[in-house]
Amino acid sequence: MASLKCIRNKIQSAFILYSNANACKLTVPHKMMSQYPSYYISPIYNKDIQSAMTKAGETQKLAHIPTRAALIDQTCSLTHDPEVSLMINYIMKDGNKILARSLMEKTFENIKRIQIQKYHKCETEEDRAAIILNPRIIFHEAVDNCKPLMYLTPIKRGGVKYQVPVPISDKRAQFLSMKWLITAAKEKDSTVRFAYQLALELIDAANNTGRVVKKKQDLHKQCEANRAYAHYRWS
Amino acid sequence: MRLATLLLAARSPQKEPVPFKERLPLKLKSRVSGRGMNTTEVFCIHEMSVLFACLKTNEFSQKLCSNEIENFQKCYSSSLTMREGRKEKEAKGILIPGEKKLSHKQVNTLLRQFPQFV
Repeated sequence: MASLKCIRNKIQSAFILYSNANACKLTVPHKMMSQYPSYYISPIYNKDIQSAMTKAGETQKLAHIPTRAALIDQTCSLTHDPEVSLMINYIMKDGNKILARSLMEKTFENIKRIQIQKYHKCETEEDRAAIILNPRIIFHEAVDNCKPLMYLTPIKRGGVKYQVPVPISDKRAQFLSMKWLITAAKEKDSTVRFAYQLALELIDAANNTGRVVKKKQDLHKQCEANRAYAHYRWS
Repeated sequence: MRLATLLLAARSPQKEPVPFKERLPLKLKSRVSGRGMNTTEVFCIHEMSVLFACLKTNEFSQKLCSNEIENFQKCYSSSLTMREGRKEKEAKGILIPGEKKLSHKQVNTLLRQFPQFV
């Protein structure tokens, strides 16, 4: 009798668990990765922006709007830079963020070393003043210089695929620029380290020279050659 | 005998004038269907061609064409925002004053305001 009761209890508890699991499934939208509903706004974690907003008096508007929690790498640290952390994520393979971050840090170190070498080789003060020593500034300049203005997309008209030049969104331009920089840094001798090659590519791109800038210009030339098809696009 | 049945079965040639039969009511409905709605508008073609001309003359250096680039990007972003706003309004069927090309929902709201009386 006791064993029977036990079995019944077990079945009941299992049923409760099952129904609880079902209730959980109903609350979580299974199509999306995020658990947050769409009306949740993303957090403003930068202190400069926060202080600017308080001055403008916009914080009161956001006071009662549900807000997402900040991501693990979104800090108000002085060294934090959203573009750099994006680059780290693009470098990352198989979720190995520690390696990706160390590669980026090594790249910045290499940039600094190369630029300081150049600085000390300079004879005159004017030449010295022209050299940028901050690797972060060089990085941002390089990414900006490699952003394409438009890109080619295949559009089928009358059974023939045409490569049609279309305007590019800022987000995609940034992605392409970073991707090209990374792929250029990967094309190297086996004796050269990735971080060193990436440093060279970034310095080149910041000076508006090098392979990546040439790649961007080649894309622009192709777009120019296909400008007759520009009216084929649908947007 | 056979000839007689054939003659009976055969239809006589139509007499002029042919009488008209109204199969469907001869008036337009006060609504339209939304089929065949494909808007193919291309934005910023002019800005793009100006930019191409500038790039070609300056050997694809962007510094010398900064004005054209800015115009092109401004045109693209404004067209995106405009299209989004218009899409929202068209989906709801809200009439935009001065709009020449109407969506089927907008036409329906207009027809509802001014229906056909026969």
